[in-house]
Amino acid sequence: MDRQALEGIRIVDLSMGWAGPLAARHLADMGAQVIKIESLKRFDWWRSWEATPEWIEDDGAEKSVAFNMVNRNKLNVTLDLEDPRGRDLLLKLVAGANAVVENYSGGVLPKLKLGYDVFCQAKANIILLSMPPFGANGPWAEFRAYGSTVEQSSGLPHLNGGPDDPPTMQHVAYGDAVGGITGACALLVALRHQAKTGLGQYMDLSQVEGLFPLAAEGILHYSATGQTPSRARNMHQHHPVHGVFPCEGEDNWIVIEARDETEWQALKTCAAPTLDAFDNIDQCRAESDEINKVLSTWTRDQDASTLMHALQENGVPAASTLSASDLINHPQLEARDYWQWRDRAVVGNQPNPSPPYRGDSPLSIDTPAPTLGQHNTDVLSGILGLTQDELGDLEAAGIIGTRPRMPT
Amino acid sequence: MALSGITVIDVSGTIATGYCGKLFADYGAQVINLEPPDGFVTRYHGPVTDSGADPERSAMHAYLSTNKASVASAELSAQKRTNLLTHADLILDDGSPEIDLPTSSSRMSICWFGRSGPYAHFKGTDAQMFAMNGMLQSIGPIEGPPLIPKGPQAQIVGGATAFIGAMGHVLSRDLGNTTEAEHLETSIFEAMLCFTDVGVISVYNTGLQASRMGINRFPPTYPLGIFPCKDGWLGVTVLTPSQWHAFCDLLDMEDFKYIPLFQSSVGRLEALDVIEPAFAEKLKSFTAEDLFYRGQEARIPLARVPTMEELFGVDQFVQRQAFCTADMGHTQLQVPSTPFRLHATPPAFGGVVASLGEHTKDYS
Repeated sequence: MDRQALEGIRIVDLSMGWAGPLAARHLADMGAQVIKIESLKRFDWWRSWEATPEWIEDDGAEKSVAFNMVNRNKLNVTLDLEDPRGRDLLLKLVAGANAVVENYSGGVLPKLKLGYDVFCQAKANIILLSMPPFGANGPWAEFRAYGSTVEQSSGLPHLNGGPDDPPTMQHVAYGDAVGGITGACALLVALRHQAKTGLGQYMDLSQVEGLFPLAAEGILHYSATGQTPSRARNMHQHHPVHGVFPCEGEDNWIVIEARDETEWQALKTCAAPTLDAFDNIDQCRAESDEINKVLSTWTRDQDASTLMHALQENGVPAASTLSASDLINHPQLEARDYWQWRDRAVVGNQPNPSPPYRGDSPLSIDTPAPTLGQHNTDVLSGILGLTQDELGDLEAAGIIGTRPRMPT
Repeated sequence: MALSGITVIDVSGTIATGYCGKLFADYGAQVINLEPPDGFVTRYHGPVTDSGADPERSAMHAYLSTNKASVASAELSAQKRTNLLTHADLILDDGSPEIDLPTSSSRMSICWFGRSGPYAHFKGTDAQMFAMNGMLQSIGPIEGPPLIPKGPQAQIVGGATAFIGAMGHVLSRDLGNTTEAEHLETSIFEAMLCFTDVGVISVYNTGLQASRMGINRFPPTYPLGIFPCKDGWLGVTVLTPSQWHAFCDLLDMEDFKYIPLFQSSVGRLEALDVIEPAFAEKLKSFTAEDLFYRGQEARIPLARVPTMEELFGVDQFVQRQAFCTADMGHTQLQVPSTPFRLHATPPAFGGVVASLGEHTKDYS
């Protein structure tokens, strides 16, 4: 049987929310054994940031779509890290791991008497990835942020929208998913170095800096010209046709672009005779406002999807805007088996997105997200060799368990 | 450096392959741009510097290409070209069917829609990716049209995601898990679903789909957005009950602090017509800078919202060397540094940008 790409790698995942768990999930998807650690009281806040006794009673901790999406293919162990016995068990797991991932707020690891030096005592060549929003050093090292804060801090909002709009955000938590990708990149580079040299190391990333590459066009514009880039809503500096046009029905739209003469002539052919008054693409650049008006009139009574296909078949870049409900049965995703359906305790059969990198077929998702403490026995007995009596003592002391408790 | 000894060849030179290759080059891999006679398309991508001339004046190309070699493909003999490609650990390409590459080298094709499926032949653009991943529908004024996010963001996300898959394969060889060359691919469309797949699954489960609520409004979090202050813009995110209480304290909004409906994010969103005028007025009495620091001290994740110009002077970014210099010969350009830092084997901070075909003679 073929081995998975990262078989033999073990990661201890202390992270919570979206970015950290997503970073570790990428490695789990490629076959690394990822052991996620939570505590019964300080469980992953992505299960809920507004926990109530009723939520606990209703198995709310197992119903979070967001949590389940970024924690598949992992093992889940509960450990109270504020208890010396829980902390000691964590360090024993670290002793057998290649890397640890954490994205606690600044000060949490030291408070738990944990950190890179402590992990190194457990495993001399351990890799530790810290993922604070602003990076692990500098005056803002301990500042707090969500994915939204990360986007707000990155400069990106000043590139979007029009001159009279406020700086315009793109997403409720744009920095999180990018932070997860950046974290996975970091882990893989350090693991390769470890595989080649036997050495571990500390590494950190700033999730805000992770968005700078996405804002690069604006950053480079200022860097190259000394000018702040202008904001012109959907107008594009180089693409003469670049807009979002209304289609038949309520709130249906299509993106249409023409980047060169070939695409412009193809668009003219598709829209004939609507655009006949405009000759070549240079004229188009000078009269883009008028062309947008004409195109809006042309698209307004057409079905967005039909029009997209007609334009694409003629070589014009076009895409109808999709909503979340359009994506679960999207023909391109269906043809590529993008959604993998897996039965999960409490929530039943659920779609799971495939990793976007693959060979001829998607990487198979072996297991859905674990329930809280699902693998306590597998990991603590199977890996660390604890007896059933010892597990019973830990459970009685509240160090491990499978039901969350109200945070204090 | 961490990736020393790895050879990567980019044969397509898109922003996506360029960014994927850049991450390899930043950590010490030998990355070769095998370019056509006029050079990669990134050489003509804006923004451009005032000095220099095509094909050496693109700031975007410079950002993507520090510490890479440039080889003019047409100037190599067929044998030399084959040798070069055959000895690569990894070839990066955009999946164009006309590209002929040896099967003995591993390959990562970064395509807009992937190499299969009914959309595989579609033209792709960054704007299209935002339309199709579901994000565009929620950005902008209620009445529309939705606002397209600026720049080649989808290609950067695709390039970084492809790097994960490519590095997984490289590591797999180092670990002895495989000895075979593989043809991998990354779909930029699928990579961009990382922002919306939670929403897709949520809507599948609940049937509830939010409609566009206006600029900077993204349910279910509220207050969320970017607001004008006496001086500058403040980024606000208030999620938990304790953050709401601290936010009310910060702005002296005691009357709002314990209203039961306001204890949850969803409740506050329902009452935004009451809440927003109240705090927006208060914000005008303070500078964004002042509220940012006092808010962070009170554990509220507030943000300064720097312009492009201000980014380069932010203390935090300066101290972390978040920007570095790309040496284009005629111009020294400030560009973003690698967004992750290995401390024992750090990345290159900036470097030299090769002119078109500068290294051809080394491989002839």
